[in-house]
Amino acid sequence: MTVKLAVIQFAGSNCDLDTIHVLNNVVDGIEADLVWHNLFKESKYDGVILPGGFAFGDYLRAGIIAAHSPAIDEARVMLDDGRPVIGFCNGFQILTEAQFLPGALLRNDSLKFICKWVNLKVENNTTALSNKMNIRDVLAIPIAHAEGRYYTDNLKELEENNQIVFRYSTENGELTKEANPNGSLENIAGVCNLEQNCVGFMPHPERASEAILSPKRTTHGILFFNSIVEFIKRRIS
Amino acid sequence: MTRVNLNGEEVDVELTKWEFEKVKELLGREPNLTEIGMASVMWSEHCSYKSSRPKLKMFEDAEANYDYVLAGPGQDAGVIDIGDGYCLAFRIESHNHPSAIEPYHGAATGIGGIIRDILCMGVRPIALLDPLRFGSLKDNPHSQWLFKYVVKGIADYGNCTGIPTIGGEVEFDESFESNCLVNVACIGLGSIEDFKHAPSRAYNPGDYVILMGGSTGRDGIHGVTFASRTLTEMSEADRPAVQIGDPFTKKLIIEATLEAVKTGYVRGLKDLGGGGLTCATSELTGDGNTGAKVDLRKVFTREPGMNSYEIMLSESQERMTFIVKPEGLETVLDVFRKFEMNFAVIGRTDDSKILKVFDEKNLVVNIPSKALSESPTFKREEKKPDYLDDLLTQKTPKSSLGLDEIIYRLVASENICSKEWVYRQYDHEVGIRSVVKCGEGDSGVLRIIGTNKFIAASVGVNSKHCFLDPYEGAKGGLVEICGNIIANGAKPMAMVNCCNFGNPEIPESFWYFSQAVEGMNNFCREMRIPIVGGNVSFYNEDDVKKTAIKATPIIMIVGVIEGEDKIITLPFKKAGNDLFLIGETKAELGGSEYHSLIYNLQGGIPPKVNDKKAKATWDFLFDLYENDLVKANHDVNKGGFIITIAEMCFNNNLGAELKLKGCYDENLRDDEFLFSESVGRFIIETDPKDYKIIIKKAEKFGADIKKIGVLIPKPEINIKGLKLKELNLNIKQLKNLYDSTIPNLMEI
Repeated sequence: MTVKLAVIQFAGSNCDLDTIHVLNNVVDGIEADLVWHNLFKESKYDGVILPGGFAFGDYLRAGIIAAHSPAIDEARVMLDDGRPVIGFCNGFQILTEAQFLPGALLRNDSLKFICKWVNLKVENNTTALSNKMNIRDVLAIPIAHAEGRYYTDNLKELEENNQIVFRYSTENGELTKEANPNGSLENIAGVCNLEQNCVGFMPHPERASEAILSPKRTTHGILFFNSIVEFIKRRIS
Repeated sequence: MTRVNLNGEEVDVELTKWEFEKVKELLGREPNLTEIGMASVMWSEHCSYKSSRPKLKMFEDAEANYDYVLAGPGQDAGVIDIGDGYCLAFRIESHNHPSAIEPYHGAATGIGGIIRDILCMGVRPIALLDPLRFGSLKDNPHSQWLFKYVVKGIADYGNCTGIPTIGGEVEFDESFESNCLVNVACIGLGSIEDFKHAPSRAYNPGDYVILMGGSTGRDGIHGVTFASRTLTEMSEADRPAVQIGDPFTKKLIIEATLEAVKTGYVRGLKDLGGGGLTCATSELTGDGNTGAKVDLRKVFTREPGMNSYEIMLSESQERMTFIVKPEGLETVLDVFRKFEMNFAVIGRTDDSKILKVFDEKNLVVNIPSKALSESPTFKREEKKPDYLDDLLTQKTPKSSLGLDEIIYRLVASENICSKEWVYRQYDHEVGIRSVVKCGEGDSGVLRIIGTNKFIAASVGVNSKHCFLDPYEGAKGGLVEICGNIIANGAKPMAMVNCCNFGNPEIPESFWYFSQAVEGMNNFCREMRIPIVGGNVSFYNEDDVKKTAIKATPIIMIVGVIEGEDKIITLPFKKAGNDLFLIGETKAELGGSEYHSLIYNLQGGIPPKVNDKKAKATWDFLFDLYENDLVKANHDVNKGGFIITIAEMCFNNNLGAELKLKGCYDENLRDDEFLFSESVGRFIIETDPKDYKIIIKKAEKFGADIKKIGVLIPKPEINIKGLKLKELNLNIKQLKNLYDSTIPNLMEI
């Protein structure tokens, strides 16, 4: 069985083609379409991915204009009926601005854009983006953003509800200050909604899915995409 | 500025008296103000290359001499055929003057401009590289300000458009203190079909002329004439001549343009950069041997009440001109509508060979289209500066510092230390092509998805070497930049350059330019490397000190690697492996980082290139690559070979045991051997079992090679066999110094 995913192309998305490449040419079991944001119709798809980039130039505030695109109304239908709604980097920013996910993404504490490989520790392995992983797995994956410092007023609630999916860590899984690239609250890199079908995080799995692109020849990015496939299969069966 | 009498009125024009008379002669009448403005833009140094063109003529035969060169000098970008139906377009350009006045927007719009040049060739921009020059950062808030905001300007623009910045180079030298250099390079990748679709000319009468993208405002009027003067204190008042960039619109322009080209209806394509609409319309028609009628009032303007002069000369960013077949007009416009881009059909081409611009019913410009695109040229005087002979005879003073202390200082020098502070701010991975990333090798290596082919690119030159000998310095730059991509396993395929020099009206400044151009030309012909494009930036002078910048003929080389297993990387791999130094080390400390850092000395004898030896070294290396004999490679650059070894030790917790007795000319002092910047050298790591075959191959090719030591599993470098004493260097300490210099200077 092949699952059908849409990758939304907002004006200013720039990881859209990279994501499509990985979904269609690297990962098994997915057929993905690149869909211009105001032409998106949810009924044709099993899930949707909001890719990285600078939707609408990140003008006003990262993600906020895209959060008012018609594509988000379509995505809300998917959110409500339990289909995966996933955001990477700018996509995560859009999902928090649209209030699909709790919290906000602030300017990095260094006040600079940061492009580097980091380590990610898995905290919840039942979501649409992490069900093919083990708790405490440490994954190698790159980040590239200027506004990725996660913040929420409701930390306790998130922890109680198991909504923290990934944290920045050392190679050995320690949650140190040095391992936190952007000053995120409690090293949080990604969160999910209560139903766990909507997940957003700052790193770029599409850049970590082929050994040739990875400093240590890992392909951890594939696990994220395989998790989406698995989530859809379980949901249907 | 020249004061002339125009239709009975005294006006100041940016033309010489002679040029003004030439305009009158071409038109057969008095020009009007708009026409004068257009002529002064098109005949500015920046657009017309009027000083440099007589010299650059020697580059012009690349298309005829190399069958894989699809577009050579004179086009918006050089284009080469790299096989499998793909072509690469690339170009480098300067944005020095705007960046020296307004570093953030100056650098950002530099990126914007170079992206448009590549887009004009109908291919997707896939990589950026930026060679930069500033004054020393130490105790210098002005240099820190320029550096910080130039990097931020490049990062914000490049990152937003989704084009990775995969490489670059920075040098700090006091000659760049008030006139920093910001050179920007872009590489595009596409199918040969796409490139052939859309040449930068309107060769067919009856086609539509469409303006697409950002609106036309009053910013950047006369930006190019401003770039063709020396910067002065008054230049602050030129700030309105710096344009403002909009990378978001640029991203949409890229997607809309590429989709429009795919329709097959776009017959010509030109970006609006320096010279704005004037440059685009006159070059499209002039080069295409056609004419056009254009209605100015169709142009969508940012502010009301703009007159014809302002609309024709505006350098507002993010605009493209399309020449479209009549039957495809609606199809192309639909593409623009999908991306919600502004556009206007502003005219049609015809066979009149005259560019007529109307302001509603009034004819405001009526000029033969070739009149502007083919400018007059000047022969400039050249003279070798008197100070050079003294500089060349300067000797290395005695130092009270030990050699180890000098090495620790060198590794921390601004010009040698890690540039991680810079490249962390660049998204160097977007596009998922970056295989050898910033900091991992001498060049940036990109994959071409769907093939087993890779491209490598590097930029730079050594300004200190060029200052002492521009001819050898430019050649040395070529050896070094070719060496960068060769170290990663690539064969150099083509070169573009960006010549940054002083005022060409000063004979000494023009001599530097002339010598550098000859050096590049001679070396490229010898090595069979086509020169497929170039850009010239003159008038880079410090008005306060009355000196020119150090001559900086930046070189960019691209090459191809056939197969993933043929990519070589910089870090040492395995303890026990052999280390070889390839190439000869000579007493060439002139312009070295050692002289300048330790003694504050500019002079001495700079490196000289031996073409035959360089060729022998390259052929030898390619033969070793063919047989998979090289485990790591790094070309020897600033600071000399000992710095090179240290850099190779930084990644994998390895060290080196060096035995240097007999490895160098007996007449060399220790410091000459350790710190000379003789060009064309490499350090390679090999398996000890291959020792004999490597020596044999070196003999066959006539390459100089010496085994200098082995790798050890400890993070230290032990050096035996020097004349003075043994040295022991701690790699952790070296790495710490290497990493902390720029953060310490910038993060206060």
